[in-house]
Amino acid sequence: MQQEQGGKSDTEVTWEDQQNINKFGRLNNRIHELLDEIKTAKETNDNLEDASNELILTDEEVIRFQVGEVFVHVPNDEVENRIEEMKEATSKNLEKLEEEKGTILAQMAELKKILYGKFKDSINLEED
Amino acid sequence: MASTSIETTTTTAAERRGIPGAQFVEDVQTYLSQLGLDVNSALSFLQERLQQYKLVEMKLLAQQRDLQAKIPDIEKCLDVVGTLQAKKGTGEALIADFEVSEGIYSRAHLEDADSVCLWLGANVMLEYSCEEATSLLQNNLDNARASLEVLIADLQFLRDQVTITQVTIARVYNWDVHQRRIRQATAAKDS
Repeated sequence: MQQEQGGKSDTEVTWEDQQNINKFGRLNNRIHELLDEIKTAKETNDNLEDASNELILTDEEVIRFQVGEVFVHVPNDEVENRIEEMKEATSKNLEKLEEEKGTILAQMAELKKILYGKFKDSINLEED
Repeated sequence: MASTSIETTTTTAAERRGIPGAQFVEDVQTYLSQLGLDVNSALSFLQERLQQYKLVEMKLLAQQRDLQAKIPDIEKCLDVVGTLQAKKGTGEALIADFEVSEGIYSRAHLEDADSVCLWLGANVMLEYSCEEATSLLQNNLDNARASLEVLIADLQFLRDQVTITQVTIARVYNWDVHQRRIRQATAAKDS
């Protein structure tokens, strides 16, 4: 967690500075959530990849496909289509998350420049 | 971002759904005289405020976790109802394996599914037609998503207040240290 540490400086904190600090805090929280979401999305993607590989290898006609809490008997082709759809949805989601991550990191770098510029040693914006 | 404060010394924040806003301090000296407290009392007041904020944060985080667990559940239910409806048209039975007990599964043949039963909680289960079930579940899903959004906004507001309070504590403390140093310097000069 970032904190502002006491220093010998007499720099006053203006409302604008406070808002910048708040914004940095918000972005930092969001980044941590995003990193978790990206990890989950990548895992789901890998699982779907494995599933479709297994599907190609198997010679069964009917696959037990999980819908909700039950396993529905679905013919092989339909399962393939469903898995393709799910893979597309997860990779689109992953793309969106990565994009958001990029934007937030850029904004955080910008704020760091501004805040370090004004407060120098009086503020600590690094992860511990 | 331009400040929209009306008073010249402090900016008061609005409260949000029961969470008091943290007062932003423009000038520590004026803030302390306004409160009429000495440094230690002011610091303990701010610390107390911080603890209250932390409590509310825990509560909101717990609510957020609940909602985040509920939403995939509702989506799964919608999936099942959707699958049943799709099979209805074809006329063939839907075969599904379901869990009877841990590790033990059984096979079910589901013929034409005209209606489904939905568990509403509190030991109540109601039978609905597939369309009604879909619209009910969709409604629940939309409500859950909307509540989650409001909750997230509340959490953001709360975290901002926590940050403001932490910064204020640091500044009051620094101001006190600064004052002590000045007093020491003047005392050394006089002696």
